[in-house]
Amino acid sequence: MMPGSSVLLARVKDAVVANWVKLALGIVSVSIFIASWAIVSLYLSESGSSLSPFVPGPRLVAEAFLSSFVDSVPGLTGIRMGDMIASSMIRIFWGFLLAMLVALPMGLAMGSFKTLESMGKPLVEVFRPIPPLAWVPVFLMVFKSFWGPIGIVFLGVFFPILLNVIFGVKSVDQRLVDAARTLGAKRSAVFTKVVMPAIVPYMMTGIKVGLGVGWMCIVAAEMMPIQSGTGVGYYVWLSADYSRYDFMYATMLVIGLLSILTTGVAELIEKRVSRWMGIR
Amino acid sequence: MEKRILVLAIVVAAAIVLAGVATALYLGSGSDEGSVSYVTMAPNLMDGWLASNQSDAYIAWEPYVSSSVVAGTGRVIMWTNEIMPNHPCCVVAVSEDFLDSPDGADLTARFLKAHIEANRWMADALADPEGANYSLLLDMAADFTLRSQAVVEEGLGHVEFGYEMSDDFLSALTQFTDMYIESNIITNDTLSGLGYADASEFIDDYVDESFLVTADSVEPSPTIMNPADEDAMRLGYLSGDLHQLAQFVAQNDTVGGGEKDLFETYGLNVDPLSPYANGGAVMDAFNLGDIDIGYLGAPPAIQKHANLGTPVRIVAQANSEGSGIVVHVDSDIHTLEDLVGRTVATPGETSIQHLLLRMALEREGIPFVKA
Repeated sequence: MMPGSSVLLARVKDAVVANWVKLALGIVSVSIFIASWAIVSLYLSESGSSLSPFVPGPRLVAEAFLSSFVDSVPGLTGIRMGDMIASSMIRIFWGFLLAMLVALPMGLAMGSFKTLESMGKPLVEVFRPIPPLAWVPVFLMVFKSFWGPIGIVFLGVFFPILLNVIFGVKSVDQRLVDAARTLGAKRSAVFTKVVMPAIVPYMMTGIKVGLGVGWMCIVAAEMMPIQSGTGVGYYVWLSADYSRYDFMYATMLVIGLLSILTTGVAELIEKRVSRWMGIR
Repeated sequence: MEKRILVLAIVVAAAIVLAGVATALYLGSGSDEGSVSYVTMAPNLMDGWLASNQSDAYIAWEPYVSSSVVAGTGRVIMWTNEIMPNHPCCVVAVSEDFLDSPDGADLTARFLKAHIEANRWMADALADPEGANYSLLLDMAADFTLRSQAVVEEGLGHVEFGYEMSDDFLSALTQFTDMYIESNIITNDTLSGLGYADASEFIDDYVDESFLVTADSVEPSPTIMNPADEDAMRLGYLSGDLHQLAQFVAQNDTVGGGEKDLFETYGLNVDPLSPYANGGAVMDAFNLGDIDIGYLGAPPAIQKHANLGTPVRIVAQANSEGSGIVVHVDSDIHTLEDLVGRTVATPGETSIQHLLLRMALEREGIPFVKA
């Protein structure tokens, strides 16, 4: 065993020891959920209910989950869950990255200059409440099936980051800025040393909210009438079309896990960046 | 601090480059050597995609095919009867709950009688292009599909209407079921759970010819058997699908002799609900108890009956053949082999058009993959 992994193991052990009550409660609630699910599913199938196919038991879904990674999924020869995940992740990544690249400078500018804020605000207020999914029909036709869903994710991620960054810039303690200026800091130094570190937590909140919205957007955008490429949203739709609800629930489970994973990574980055920038 | 921002910039740049490479690999992986790729979409979008070169070909049913041909955007490289001669397409299915109701079997036979008579009337009309019934048929087809006379006239030439269910019909349905089993959409476990040893047993039990037999001896009725609105036979069908013209013809008073339409002639009060988008939706309507009888493609009828146990029986055929593979009129594609490396739009993996194209490509040894 590598020394690094034993350190990691020790850390995990410490975490388990410190949080065992929480962990135990979590396991209890998940077990209760799975048990009631199994009972409902068993009851429906035993009573011969027509709803039975819609509620496959936990064992069937677990089998579908495993088989979707190992064998090709029903109806799509040679395509596995890994391909679906890759396809959705690539779209999420591009949508997220483009949204960051636009929202961050825009947010900084709108937060810093009153004129820009007055100019941008009406547009933001008009477009922000429109659900990104309303754009799906036209985006799919104009940007085609690869960039179309990316555009939808972009819209979903863009506004949470923008608004949080604007709010973050405005929340910078003016006394800190004044103090830095008094001590002879240049405008650029005030920006990098005072403003930037202060907005990191706000930006990260925007990112976390945005990623959650992004996953909702990608799943729905991939379900839309023109299905090209693969993707988890597409497969939720397709497996339901095939009445293979075991695989549909398995894909939903995958989406949940992926969403947890991306938010987890965002939190990890937040911690690192915060420490690095000298806050907390 | 500046150094840190520089590091951050480098990390971000590296991530972008990495994503770019991944995207290029991902997008490149779609165009597998030697295979045909597909995208799925509603058939009303296909002509636009073909015209704007977003897809290289499409496969759909009438009147979409003839619509593209008459408009001058498309050229047909292959009709589905060249893939499987006389292949079944749309069928008539009845809800088991309806059959179990007191008058269910009788009303079903009466409905099928009207279906048979409508088919005969259409066959006669089509046989005499100079006759008045021919132009009436074109009028009805144009009304039902919302297309021009030129389009439906072209389309009617490629659809075979018919109600009988031959042995070939049964073996074709068995073949569709086997293709579903092969791609794991229906499993052998599911079939054996329902008590069937194989696809052929499943289809034999699913298809019920007895109502067609009794329908033959149904006589016109002076009175309506189910006059009350709540007793009306609720009919489901696909929006503007030329294959399902029989039920529209059966609702026409002129066809019925002037006073009554064919359904009324045989004593039926039929309530055609608003049309459905695809066969899966018709099966869902059966499952929800929204309709009593419906016209739909055979494959969704098979798939939902096996996987969901949707309680229906197939009681008659509606048409055979009548779908085609269309390419752009200026395209260099002339054969199936020419489709290699190109993208075909299909109405969805569960559709008969998709199954038939898959069958044709498999025969040529060409893989058919998702774009």
